[in-house]
Amino acid sequence: MKCEQISELLPDYLQGSLSPDQHRTVEAHLQQCADCSEEVAVWRKLSLLPIEQPSPMSRVRFEAMLQAYLAGSSNNPGDNSAWRKRASSWNFFHWLRSPLGAAAWSAALLAIGVYAGSHLAGPKPPSPSSDLAKVEAELASTKQLVVLSMLQQQSASARLEGVNFTTRDEQLNPQVLSALLHTLRYDPSVDVRLAALDAVSRHSAQPQVRSSVVNALQEQQSPLVQVALIDQLVEWHDREAKPHLEKLRQSQDLNPAVRQHADWAISKLN
Amino acid sequence: MTLAPDEDLMLQVRDGAGEMLGVLFDRYQTPLFNFYSKLTGNRTLSEDLVQEVFLRILKYRQSYRPGTPFRAWIYQIARNARIDHFRKFPAERAFEPEMLPAVIPSDSAQEQQETELLHRALSQLPEDKREILLLCRFQELKYEEIAELLGCELNTVRTRIHRALKELRKSFHQLSQNTLLKQANAAAAENLPPRGGR
Repeated sequence: MKCEQISELLPDYLQGSLSPDQHRTVEAHLQQCADCSEEVAVWRKLSLLPIEQPSPMSRVRFEAMLQAYLAGSSNNPGDNSAWRKRASSWNFFHWLRSPLGAAAWSAALLAIGVYAGSHLAGPKPPSPSSDLAKVEAELASTKQLVVLSMLQQQSASARLEGVNFTTRDEQLNPQVLSALLHTLRYDPSVDVRLAALDAVSRHSAQPQVRSSVVNALQEQQSPLVQVALIDQLVEWHDREAKPHLEKLRQSQDLNPAVRQHADWAISKLN
Repeated sequence: MTLAPDEDLMLQVRDGAGEMLGVLFDRYQTPLFNFYSKLTGNRTLSEDLVQEVFLRILKYRQSYRPGTPFRAWIYQIARNARIDHFRKFPAERAFEPEMLPAVIPSDSAQEQQETELLHRALSQLPEDKREILLLCRFQELKYEEIAELLGCELNTVRTRIHRALKELRKSFHQLSQNTLLKQANAAAAENLPPRGGR
């Protein structure tokens, strides 16, 4: 049989749904035809590709989203009241054990509280269409709360995830931005500070970002962070940074490599 | 851990038991994430799209009808979420192979190398071909389900899968040949004495 005829049978052969007769026909062809048998081999090899795992943040975000949504729905007078009743019986045990989960959960609870509070204070119940908009606004603010609480975690990797989480948004809430700037200056972990620098550098249009980076230059002791800050200032062509760079290169116990880098930067900014 | 079928859980979600969506999330977040990450090569985007799928399930839960296979339904939502995303951000469409994860060390060096080549070959396929292979090989959708998902005939699905596989084989073959050639050259450079030295 020719390849063309076989090719009609091949997809079903791969799924194992051919009749025994057809199956034998294909097998016999595969014995002789290198191209077709290589196709089958490639198909089988596809199972070698590793299954990737999403980050733990994915579950955290889902919980926050679900809680915000349930809270939003239960405030809708026309909605099924079962949503409200059952929201409290939700079983989180496997997930709550992690500090990450606990942080996000408390942030989500806080968001629900804020939402419920503002809703109760309002003069009239929202219409269903404005309700959806509210839920979406709520999701955004829940996300901010998750980030803010993650930046306060004990574990550096949780804080790192919190920083990375902020890089998904084009616009940053001012509170999140100032938390990131605080992280850049004071986080005990070098990795987290570097990630924070990367995150805030996307928002260089904000005036406080540049001034914080310049200030951090004088405060940071880690050569890695110092070099990253210098690179950032060069990337921005920030001429106002020049006096600060000069001051840095004159500090007494500066790492020679950093001093060299600062010299290079000053020449670049000239 | 509940063993209820996906369809029953989704009906419960529809009828008010929002918490059951957590079980469906646990079942589907990894397959969906892999569908997106192997399709786009971008982990961050893939996680965002997975979230979007579950938000849409909540929004449209009332439209879920008893008897609809949940797997096919969720992949319909997943495809639409991706299409909508790229409509909004066409610039992100390019496959980003540099974001592929490092290949997990496997038993043999050869297997590891093959995995890497396969990853590259897959990423070189046009998006629609990559998608159909992912749907039938990794998401374990039946051809009938894929036909419904893509809105085409069953025979068209068979033809498309075969074409995609053919192209993947070619690309994989070529990459393997190139690698072998490189290795042979490297080995030759190491083992052969320099010419005309005598």
